[in-house]
Amino acid sequence: MNLEKVVFGFFVLLAATLNFGFFLGDISDPALHNVYELFAALVVSLIATVLKFGDRTQIGAVHLATSLVADLQLVAATLTWAWAVHISSEGLTDVATASMVSLSGGALLANVVSVVLLVVETVSFQRH
Amino acid sequence: METAPPPPVTTRGRRGRRRAPVVPRAEGSATVFVVLRRMRAPLITLITIFAVSVLGLSLVPGVDAQGQPARLSLFDAFYVMSYTATTIGFGEIPYSFSYAQRMWVTGTIYLTVIGWAYAIGSLLSLVQDRAFRQALTLRHVSRKVTRLREPFLLVAGYGQAGETLGEALDALGRRFTVVDISETRIDTLEIAGHRADVPGVVGDARDPHVLGVAGLGHPYCEGVLALTGDDEANLAVAMAAALLRPELPLVTRTTSATVAERMARFGAPTIVNPFDRFGDHLRLALRTPASYQLMTWLESGPGAELTPRGTAPAPGRWVVCGYGRFGRHFAADLRAEGLEVTTVDPSPAEEPSVVGDAADPDVIGRADLATAVGLVAGTDNDTTNLSLVAEARRTNPGLFVAARQNQPADAALFAAMDVDALLVPTEVVAHDAYARLSTPLLWRFLRELPRQSDEWSAGVVDRLLDACGRHLEALWKVRLTPEDAPALHPRLSRGGFRLADLLRDPADRDQTLLAVPLLVLRGDEATMAPGTDLVLEPGDELLFAGRAAVHREVEATLFIDGVADYLATGQRVPSSWIWRRLSRSTPAPDAPAAT
Repeated sequence: MNLEKVVFGFFVLLAATLNFGFFLGDISDPALHNVYELFAALVVSLIATVLKFGDRTQIGAVHLATSLVADLQLVAATLTWAWAVHISSEGLTDVATASMVSLSGGALLANVVSVVLLVVETVSFQRH
Repeated sequence: METAPPPPVTTRGRRGRRRAPVVPRAEGSATVFVVLRRMRAPLITLITIFAVSVLGLSLVPGVDAQGQPARLSLFDAFYVMSYTATTIGFGEIPYSFSYAQRMWVTGTIYLTVIGWAYAIGSLLSLVQDRAFRQALTLRHVSRKVTRLREPFLLVAGYGQAGETLGEALDALGRRFTVVDISETRIDTLEIAGHRADVPGVVGDARDPHVLGVAGLGHPYCEGVLALTGDDEANLAVAMAAALLRPELPLVTRTTSATVAERMARFGAPTIVNPFDRFGDHLRLALRTPASYQLMTWLESGPGAELTPRGTAPAPGRWVVCGYGRFGRHFAADLRAEGLEVTTVDPSPAEEPSVVGDAADPDVIGRADLATAVGLVAGTDNDTTNLSLVAEARRTNPGLFVAARQNQPADAALFAAMDVDALLVPTEVVAHDAYARLSTPLLWRFLRELPRQSDEWSAGVVDRLLDACGRHLEALWKVRLTPEDAPALHPRLSRGGFRLADLLRDPADRDQTLLAVPLLVLRGDEATMAPGTDLVLEPGDELLFAGRAAVHREVEATLFIDGVADYLATGQRVPSSWIWRRLSRSTPAPDAPAAT
C-alpha cells in the first residue's frame, strides 16, 4: 500500500464529499447550507490541487485542471457569501444563497469528474 | 494476440535514410513542473495552517462594540489572518478582541511564521539545487539554440582543439554551438570574450539528445565537428550526424586508423588525423621551409604571428624516439622521402631498431645522435621528450629537432626549448578544421601550396608582411557574381577590368590598396597568388588577405555604381539621375551602355 496514493485519494474524495454535503438541500434556504462546510470544502479542494502539482502525465494534467475549476467555483461561492453577509444591505437572502449554492454545484461537478478520473486510473492500474 | 515484430532499428538508416527528428530532451515547461512538485509539501502546510487559524479565530467567542457576545465571521477571520500572517498587522478589526481571541491570534502568528519560513526556505533551496539549476540552464541553452537564425557549426568537444578553433571561427564572425562533458569547459565559454553569443551544452556528446539540444536538428546547422579527445565519442558523434543529418559536412578527429575506417562507414566524413597531418607538414618543412612557414601562418587564423622560417636539414639519418602510432606514421613519411631512419622504443613488440627507454642516456647513445641530421622526440611523455631535446642539443647542436607536446600545460617549456618543429595534436586538428571550414578557397590554396617552389612561397610571405605586418589579418573572399558584386559585375562583362584596378582606392585611384590576392578560382581552375595584370571575369572568386578597412574599400567598388569605371579609367561617372542627365552631352568613353 502506498501512503502517497492513500493521501491523494483521501483528499480528492473528501473534497467531493464536503462539496456534496454543502450542496445538498433546498437551493435557496440559507439554513440548509452551512458556511463552515463551504470553508472546509474550499480548503480541502486547495490541498487536493497542490497534491496534483507536478504530474506530467495526460491524466495528471486533467486531474489538475478539474481541481483548478473546482477551486475557482468555490472561491466564487465564498466571495458571493462574503458579499451578501458583509457588504450587501439585505444580508444572506434567498437569491444570494441560491447563487452561492449553484456555484458550489458547479464545483461539485468538477469534483465528480476528478473522482471519476481517480476511479478510472485505479481500475486501469489493476488490469495491468 | 500475435502482432508483427517491429522492424529492427539497425536497418532503418540503410533502407530509407529518412530524416529522423532530433528531439531535445528538455521538454516544454519542465522547470515549472519541477518547481510545482517541490513546492507541494510547503504549500499544503501553508494552506493547513491558514485554514486552522481562520477556522479557530471565527469560533473563538468575543464581544462587539456594544458588549454583546459576538464571533468574527469567516470572512473577518480570513481578513485578520491574512494581514497578521504576512506581518502587515492592521490591528484588531472590526472591534477589540477578547482575551480568548488574542490568545488564539498569538498562537497563529507563530504558526504562520513557521509556515512562511518553510515555504520560502524550500523555494530558496530549490533555486540553489544543482539538478534544478542544470534543468534551467539546459532549457535556457536549448531556447538560445532554437532561436539561432544564421548558419552555425556544432562543435562537440571544447578542449584545446575546440577552443583554438572556436576563437578562429569567432574572429571570422562565424556562429557555433558547443557540447562538452565537462562543466568547467563550458564555463570558460562565458568568460572567453567571444563576439557572438556561444550556446554551450554540458553533456555527453555520445547522447544524440544532447546533440539535438545543441542544434543537430536545427535547419541552420551547417556542419558538425567531432573534436573530443575520445575516439569512441567522436565515432558516436560521427554516427549520429551521419544518420540524422546525412547532408551536413562532418569533420572528425582521430589518431586511430581503425576508428577512421569505422567512421568512414557512415557517409563521407572528413577525418583529421593529427599525426598524419603533422607528418605532411614536416615533410613540407624539410623540402620547402618557406612553404611550411606560409602554411602554418595561414592555418593559424586571423591575428596569428609569423613564426620564424626554419632551415631544411641536409639529407641524412633521422632518429625517431617513440615508435608507437605517431612514430610509425612519421618514420614511414621519412622513409618515403628516401631518408634513413633509426627508431627507438621500449617495447620490442613494435620492432624498433633500438629497444629501450629513450629517456635512458645509454639507449639514446646507441641511437648515435652525433651522426644524425634530425631527431623526432615523439613519445607520449612530455618529460621524456623535453629531456631528449636537451640531450640532442648537447650532443649535436646542429640537429633538426621535432618534438611532440602532449599536455597543454607544457606549452611554455617547449616554447623555451625552441624546437624546429613542434607537434601539438590539438592545434593541428584545430588548424586543419579551420582551414577546411573557414572558406573553401583557403583549403584549395593550402592543398596547392606543396606544389609551389620555396622562392614562390617566400615571395608570398614577403607580400603578406607588407600588407598585414607580423600579425595575420583576416582572410576574405570576393565573389564577382551579380549578387555579391552588383555594381562591378556589368563592368566585368565588358572586359578589360584588371585585378590591379580592383585594388585601387575608390577615393583616389592612384593609391593602391594593401591586400594580397592569394587565389583566384575561375570555374574549377585555381591560380595561386595571381599577378595584378590578371583580367577579371564574371564569376571569379578571389581570396584576399588584408586589413578590414581595405576589405570595406573593395566592397565599395563591388556595390557602388560608377566606382569601377572610375578605377578603370579615372573618369568620375555621375551616380545620381540628375547628374547623369546633365552630363549626357559629354559621355565618358567607358560609360555603361546597359541599364
